[in-house]
Amino acid sequence: MADQGLRIADLHCNVAGNEILKGIDLMVEPGKVHALMGPNGSGKSTLAFSLTGHPQYQVTKGTVALDGTDLLELAPDKRARAGLFLSFQYPAAIPGVKVANFLHAARQAERPGDLPPAKFRALLLEKMDLLGMDPSFMGRYLNDGFSGGEKKRLEMLQLAVLAPKYAVLDETDSGLDVDALKAVGECIAALRASDEGRNTGFLIITHYPRILQHVAPDVVHVMIDGRIVKTGDADLAHRIEREGYDGIREEIGAIA
Amino acid sequence: MLSATAVRTPLHDALGASDAALLPPEDRARALDAFLTTPSGRQKPSRFWRIDLDTIAPDARAIAPNAVAVDIQNASPRIVACDLITAAREHAPLLRRAFGTSGAGTTKFGALARAFAGTGAFVYVPHDADAAEPIVITYTIAENSAAFPYTVVLAERGARATVLERFAGGRDAFVCAAVEAVTEEGSDLHCAAHQSLDAGARWFSTRTARPGRNARFAWTSAEAGAGLAVLDLTVAIAQPGIDAGITSLFFPTGNQHVDVVSTVDHAVGDSTSHTHVKSAATGAGQARYLGTIRIAPHAQGSDASLRDDALLLSKRAHIDSVPALEIGANDVKAYHGATVGALDEEQIFYLESRGIERAAAERTIALGFFEPAIDRFPTEALREELRAALASKLA
Repeated sequence: MADQGLRIADLHCNVAGNEILKGIDLMVEPGKVHALMGPNGSGKSTLAFSLTGHPQYQVTKGTVALDGTDLLELAPDKRARAGLFLSFQYPAAIPGVKVANFLHAARQAERPGDLPPAKFRALLLEKMDLLGMDPSFMGRYLNDGFSGGEKKRLEMLQLAVLAPKYAVLDETDSGLDVDALKAVGECIAALRASDEGRNTGFLIITHYPRILQHVAPDVVHVMIDGRIVKTGDADLAHRIEREGYDGIREEIGAIA
Repeated sequence: MLSATAVRTPLHDALGASDAALLPPEDRARALDAFLTTPSGRQKPSRFWRIDLDTIAPDARAIAPNAVAVDIQNASPRIVACDLITAAREHAPLLRRAFGTSGAGTTKFGALARAFAGTGAFVYVPHDADAAEPIVITYTIAENSAAFPYTVVLAERGARATVLERFAGGRDAFVCAAVEAVTEEGSDLHCAAHQSLDAGARWFSTRTARPGRNARFAWTSAEAGAGLAVLDLTVAIAQPGIDAGITSLFFPTGNQHVDVVSTVDHAVGDSTSHTHVKSAATGAGQARYLGTIRIAPHAQGSDASLRDDALLLSKRAHIDSVPALEIGANDVKAYHGATVGALDEEQIFYLESRGIERAAAERTIALGFFEPAIDRFPTEALREELRAALASKLA
């Protein structure tokens, strides 16, 4: 279909009265992996929260369409049901809500009635094994007392269980050790190899190129000061690894 | 104003129908006088509270022997579990070791429950007996009645048991209940209660425990029903080595008023107590919690904690939380923590971002808030019952 994709056009967003996004244009096609790189404070997480509809992020201009559906018109839960997923950098802890019950509620909300409980449980156990998570996770309270690495694994478990149309991963790699990073990479690869996740489009937000060794990006964007200043292929990520963001800044400065 | 000596009232006349073998008429009259002259100790906590607990009293005409029906389930042959009137005739020496010995009659509403004690239950767990199944006591209150269900539990040395009380019915009733739990050395007794009376009921409950040396004891109490619920939970620590717990959860909705007082009295040292209170309020629901921990000057080595969390779910809802730590000794551990707040927007957004509608997200978080307290109640069946009761308040 002509209007497929997560299409972001001229997106401006304010946080607490300050303009953080200053006109973002970006399209993630189904099944493709886009990496969004940039230094701290460039607005990457703001983009993630404005896509998912966090109430403190005010979109002042622009459009976001998910396979033709206007996302900005929708409440956050409806955006999720339309097929958008955000892996949080700092997911909220919710004491008293068990991981298994939460995952079931989320799956039911996004894909009503498609899996009987026994099959759902089998799916969970399979994905947890892939992520190196102990089955006892299911009985724990959501993110309550979780280490940073455990929280990230749980975000990936949700990605695997919900198999969204488009997934935004906000610094999923930060704070992860080598093994956890590898598990995240394998989880994403398994999702992309599955029937449910074959067409999932990814927007992977990161400071560092190291997660991209596990998930090869089709397109790499660089964001600085609320704008996408450069777009290229995987080589761009390698260049950032060698030169840092200063090389890009100089290049932009030279053009301007 | 209350006079020092009570005059004869229609309530005194109503005492005549009470069982004399359980408690002689002169003792009943003394208890009734104590009710009429003892202050509630519960000042109106703030401007929102319109009920005067010092003058509230049952209608003497509503007092009748059939106001309450009791059903007792006990699967353990060594354990005696019978109605109170039968206990007064067949197990009088055992009953005397507990009935009236825990201090229940010293509070205003405890005295009223004692004055009219009749229908009730007596549980006797002999030394080293282990109740594999909980002893379940169900009180069903008749409508428009004044009812005084009274439970007495005696657990001997090394005995282990769980006693679970349920209270239901009671449309437009005045229900004044008491539980006395007396335990001996090394015993482990858990007394749980689920009150789900009709929203038109007025409910007063006095629960006092006197655990033995090195005993474990727990009150768990859920107040789901009644338009007015007034609860006193007390553990008197007069022996060393006790591990005592109090868990209370309540959730006034609509126009419900809940007033909970918990008291742990460390009169001797080297005992541990932990009090956990979880409450929420919505609609015009009102609650007041007064949590007292008292550590006497010579009670060295006491270890007491009190944790209370309140969740406000509407603008008109109100919860007053008043901790009171009276520490007389210096070599003790005493901890108190309290929170009062609304639902967390970041938690709501997180669930919304997973496709869960806002209203369902709020319900999920509020139910989760109670879950650590629910976890302390015995039996999965009761826990499910409590989850359902709380969920229906959030619907």
